[in-house]
Amino acid sequence: MPNLTIDGQKIEVPAGTTIIQAAEKLGIEIPRYCYHPALPVAGNCRICMVEVEKQPKLQIACYTPVAAGMVVKTTSPKVLEARKNVLEFLLVNHPLDCPVCDQAGECKLQDYYMEHGQYDSRLASVKVKKEKKAFSIGPTVMLDQERCILCTRCVRFTDTITKTSEFGVFDRGDHSQLDVYPGKELDNKYSGNVVDICPVGALTDKDFRFKCRVWYLDHTKSVCPGCSMGCNIDIDWDKSRPHTEKKERVMRLKPRHNPDVNNYWICDSGRYNYHFIDENRILSPQYLDKIVEWGEAMERVAETIQSTKAERIGVLASAQLTNEDLFVIRKLFKDTLKAHVDFRVPEKPGDSDDFLIKADKNPNTAGAASILGAQADAQTIVQKAKQGELDLLYVFGHDLVKLFGKETVAQIAKKTKLFVFQGSNINDTCGYAHLNLPSSVYAEKDGTFTNCQQRVQRIRPAFFPLGESKGDWEIVSFVAGQLGAPLSYKGPQDVFDDIVKTVAGFAGMSYEKIGDQGMILKK
Amino acid sequence: MFTTDLLRQLDKIAGQYEQKQAALLPVLHAIQEKEGLISPESEQDVSRYLGIPVVHVHEAVSFYHLFHQTKKGKCHFSVCQTTSCALLGGEDIIEHLKTRLGIKSGETTPDGKFSLSVVECLGACELAPMMQYNKEYRGFLNKKKIDELIDKNK
Ligand code: SF4
Ligand code: SF4
Ligand code: FES
Ligand code: FES
Repeated sequence: MPNLTIDGQKIEVPAGTTIIQAAEKLGIEIPRYCYHPALPVAGNCRICMVEVEKQPKLQIACYTPVAAGMVVKTTSPKVLEARKNVLEFLLVNHPLDCPVCDQAGECKLQDYYMEHGQYDSRLASVKVKKEKKAFSIGPTVMLDQERCILCTRCVRFTDTITKTSEFGVFDRGDHSQLDVYPGKELDNKYSGNVVDICPVGALTDKDFRFKCRVWYLDHTKSVCPGCSMGCNIDIDWDKSRPHTEKKERVMRLKPRHNPDVNNYWICDSGRYNYHFIDENRILSPQYLDKIVEWGEAMERVAETIQSTKAERIGVLASAQLTNEDLFVIRKLFKDTLKAHVDFRVPEKPGDSDDFLIKADKNPNTAGAASILGAQADAQTIVQKAKQGELDLLYVFGHDLVKLFGKETVAQIAKKTKLFVFQGSNINDTCGYAHLNLPSSVYAEKDGTFTNCQQRVQRIRPAFFPLGESKGDWEIVSFVAGQLGAPLSYKGPQDVFDDIVKTVAGFAGMSYEKIGDQGMILKK
Repeated sequence: MFTTDLLRQLDKIAGQYEQKQAALLPVLHAIQEKEGLISPESEQDVSRYLGIPVVHVHEAVSFYHLFHQTKKGKCHFSVCQTTSCALLGGEDIIEHLKTRLGIKSGETTPDGKFSLSVVECLGACELAPMMQYNKEYRGFLNKKKIDELIDKNK
């Protein structure tokens, strides 16, 4: 393991480590454009040049491996001068109109120029204009060739990560331009990632561009609920924008780095699946056609439970719920009331690939299985309800109309005393349910999901639940209170601590230990 | 699709390289020799033949001025505009060609007979001002030499 010195600090790193990686370990960030830790090294932008003692020329930190006894300087006058020159060169043909560029605020060209810029232009010649200004290159992404600094990150992404090879650099010298192959589109299941890795405003997201300035955004660490992979994400939401019918709080979702799950990437269907957070929500409890108070709603559920027997209660929990929600459901309906409880409804498997996308479109199937186990069976519960063998059917989020057809659901509404739908968004089943209870969406929840690798991961609330909606665990606890069997949890973390004590696989876990990378469920 | 003849020729070229992909440039040359240009169809064919994504074939074709994406005229003047040639009157030669042919650099006359390209140093500064005329180098140019070439090929 070579020993070296970077900016006066000593460090020992494994052989083969590059200077940029070694510096990172010391918390020194060397500027970079073309370098990206998940892509092959290209070494074309030269912004990362550093001084290595006893070497006549500056070296690029992203490509130069460390050697024993190396002494590296990342901020010497020679290095700073070089950065300035590289920036001047990059800006030769780049427009100087950050105020109208969507990338402003998260642009590396802007950032580094602020630090190392030349400020007074020495350019007399006219800029070479690229052929095309902002234009569509596929269903999700726009390309502005003048802003491209030809770092080829996007080229390497479509070559090595998606292996779809849409991008290339055509022509030569200062006429070089980035584009997709003539007549082709950037159309793959991970296309949105190129926007994240583009260090400048050349590639922008159609869904996001000019919707919000990035400095108005707050970021909340969460997990994508789109499939059982549980990719780590940041929810970017507008602090200054309260929810109204037309205005959404969530502006975009971004991948959050987790080397054990999704690395730096997310799929497009996960990325653009956020509109439901602010649209089509159930906002208050509703009994038949009437909006009611939470108290009255809970009273109805409690009454029905009290006036019936355990075998006449059916519960369809859901793998969309958090471990905490599911545990409280288990506590009340399974452990205390001994009702029929299942979460596995007959869903058609969705699309999948051998990268991130999984056929199971639920984020918490593994968690639901470990907490609820399998004993009752959803199909049987539905059949029972249809045949009048249940007084209470309590459904969490599932659209029974889509799963079992209108006829069946209409029958259930007729044959049960109380048909409860608890969910965040309106679907066809709501119209048949006697009682609709508004629950919060994942972006409003604290809790954990267990992904297909059995990894328990944290989600965190970005903002308050919309309208009168509440967390699922909270609603179920409310019912328990009405029944005189209170579950006195203070919050999801409290529930989780009880899971840790009760469910074997979770032994030894805590929210602190799960942290940002997650923890694997024990067998 | 390559003709059997061309394919046999390409196999021979590609066979000389340890990795097939390395044969990209000579393969493109062989195709241009036969067809006078590299068409989008040829790019697709080469992509399949060498196992290189088509976008990267296009990168090479667009990078080198030696490859033509449109058909060039029977007489192709590639006139050097770099320092030595420029100092010795290269610019006048270029201007003269433009006026005589009525086309700009990169264009071909409507009758398909003449094409003009303005290029960087061809490494033959000792012949300045010079140009590449189809495959040959012609040096010590003057307007008279240009006129002769044009008139002969009209
Ligand atoms: S579009 Fe962006 S990522 Fe692609 S080469 Fe240009 S600057 Fe780099
Ligand atoms: S692969 Fe699954 S978890 Fe990952 S972003 Fe896509 S839908 Fe979400
Ligand atoms: S980051 Fe090292 S050359 Fe671009
Ligand atoms: S400058 Fe014209 S051949 Fe070198």
